[in-house]
Amino acid sequence: MFESLGHLASGFGVATTLHNLFYCLIGVTVGTLIGVLPGIGPIAGIALLIPATFGLDPTAAIIMLAGIYYGAMYGGSTTSILLNVPGETASVITCIDGYQMAQQGRAGPALAICAIGSFVAGTIGLFGLVFLAPPLARAALVFGPPEYFALMVFGFIVLSNVTGTSLLKSLMMAVVGLIIGTIGLDPVTGNARFTFGHVYLLGGIEFVAVAIGLFGIAEVLANVEKPPEMLEKKVIVPRFRDLYPSLTDLKKSIKPILRGSGLGFGLGLVPGPAPVIATYASYMVEKKVSRHPEEFGKGAIEGVAGPESANNAASQSAFIPLFVLGIPFAPPTAILLGALLIHGVNPGPLMISQHPELFWGVIASMYIGNFILLVLNLPFVPFFASILRIPQNILLPLIVLFCLTGMYTVNNSVLDIWLMLLLGGLGYLMRKWAYEGAPLLLALVLGPRLEVAFRQSLMISRGDFEIFLSRPISLALLLATALFLLIPAARMILKAAKKDNLVKSRKT
Amino acid sequence: MKKDELIGGSVVFLFGAVTTIFSLQLPIGTFRRAGDGLFPLCLGLILMFLSLLFVLQVFFRKEPRGEDAASGSAIPGSAKQVLLFLGAAALATALLNSLGYLLTALFLMLALLRLLGMKRWVPLALFSLISAGASHLLFVYWLKIPLPRGWLDF
Repeated sequence: MFESLGHLASGFGVATTLHNLFYCLIGVTVGTLIGVLPGIGPIAGIALLIPATFGLDPTAAIIMLAGIYYGAMYGGSTTSILLNVPGETASVITCIDGYQMAQQGRAGPALAICAIGSFVAGTIGLFGLVFLAPPLARAALVFGPPEYFALMVFGFIVLSNVTGTSLLKSLMMAVVGLIIGTIGLDPVTGNARFTFGHVYLLGGIEFVAVAIGLFGIAEVLANVEKPPEMLEKKVIVPRFRDLYPSLTDLKKSIKPILRGSGLGFGLGLVPGPAPVIATYASYMVEKKVSRHPEEFGKGAIEGVAGPESANNAASQSAFIPLFVLGIPFAPPTAILLGALLIHGVNPGPLMISQHPELFWGVIASMYIGNFILLVLNLPFVPFFASILRIPQNILLPLIVLFCLTGMYTVNNSVLDIWLMLLLGGLGYLMRKWAYEGAPLLLALVLGPRLEVAFRQSLMISRGDFEIFLSRPISLALLLATALFLLIPAARMILKAAKKDNLVKSRKT
Repeated sequence: MKKDELIGGSVVFLFGAVTTIFSLQLPIGTFRRAGDGLFPLCLGLILMFLSLLFVLQVFFRKEPRGEDAASGSAIPGSAKQVLLFLGAAALATALLNSLGYLLTALFLMLALLRLLGMKRWVPLALFSLISAGASHLLFVYWLKIPLPRGWLDF
């Protein structure tokens, strides 16, 4: 424990150098802007800015990209409260009571509680990371290819189960992502696969193009389709002096913030879109434990404090599986995995010992980033709110211009832009047909690792599939996977049976 | 809605089938010593199975009356707007190397802003010029990223 604290202190030494502080500041500021602006979420935002980190050392690069991630999570709440439009999906729940508070002239306290809650959650998350990551990394050393394979399958199934409206559709998208991930060189033999003689395809499909296409361009196209009157909304801009919450607000918020932080941290360790689930879970918990549940939905500050803290804590703990296992459980951390690999860092159980400066530096920078968000964002709320006044018919072309330019800068290749536009069109159709992009992106990033783990396992066992069932960790993970697959199926059968009984009883 | 879902499911099924066919052209090997095509072959087959299951599920699902008709009432012209928007971005991509970044960005902004309803030419030209110039400054001078200079070499 004391050893971890010592490492954390050295991490603060790394994070507080002028160079790293600057990139942390840039990251959280840009992240907040990305979160505030509708049309570009954290996934496309991080992907878009990866090329901007090419000239940086890995520590500064990841500090900046991580800052964009949690800055965007924070910024999303601003639009939820002021505009009733969530900047990203994890902020949907904040709209319910946050916007009601804004309507009652209490936008300031709602935004302040968001910032305070996020900071407290960040502090709790920091200690969780410091004390959980090293022992988990040691435990992860016993993971072999079968365990990694089972863990990744478990991740896909859980993510597919909790995203979108249909498990089947999400699973289909995960498999499509895995197939796209097989394009390029075979990770074991090194032979070209599905490249059709094109040199461009040898390196595989550029995941940044997929991320920006599916989450940036597709979102813009979905907005372009809307009638102009739907894009214009009244923005409430609070004054600086109205920002401070009252003592009663603070008293009411303390417990929800603490509960939300704990809940969010725990859920961040589980595969799936943890921040989204954490905010919903926190809202439900707060409503259940409240003495005045009837106030929820009408501007209860607890309905903002709990979910926002849960959101931030889950975003922070999502770094544990990424850093410790090298396996991201959600698309934003999958993009960060891609960024780490680009910078020559291979996350996994050995990352803490091989790259202590990066690991502890990034962790410490998260705390500093949360502090910057608290100190900078509150006074600048009126500024961020003013950004929301930019009409969408100006904002959307600007986003497209940045997507095109950002995509080109990844490899200085026009072919990447073509790929991004193609996937943008595909992403638009996927939205029309209600298919989720998150499982596809995660599968694309993890696909080659999954294939290697699968093939290595079978090589070890000489082709015997029993290897996945004879090792306790792998068996437990596969059993959990089966459970996640069977529960929705059983629920569907029960629902159909109930419906049949109802029809029969009506007939009789 | 049902029709859209059936089309979507069929497209995914087709993708699975194409993957399976192309995988079979690669060495498959055995599970003990897998060839390049084994993993994608398994994935293609799984995708075909899942999408077939989905298509059948949608096909036999009872839709409440009138739902299909209601879902068919898409906003007229909006799909055209999306296509034009995407088309303008594609045209800009095609012209990027020949025209250079600055001119392409300028024309792209002009086209997209016009498409989204900016009718008056002066603000349209002014805004396009400022945004193209600002992005050029940001990427070329601040981030030092070499962007295409085109025939006119700027």
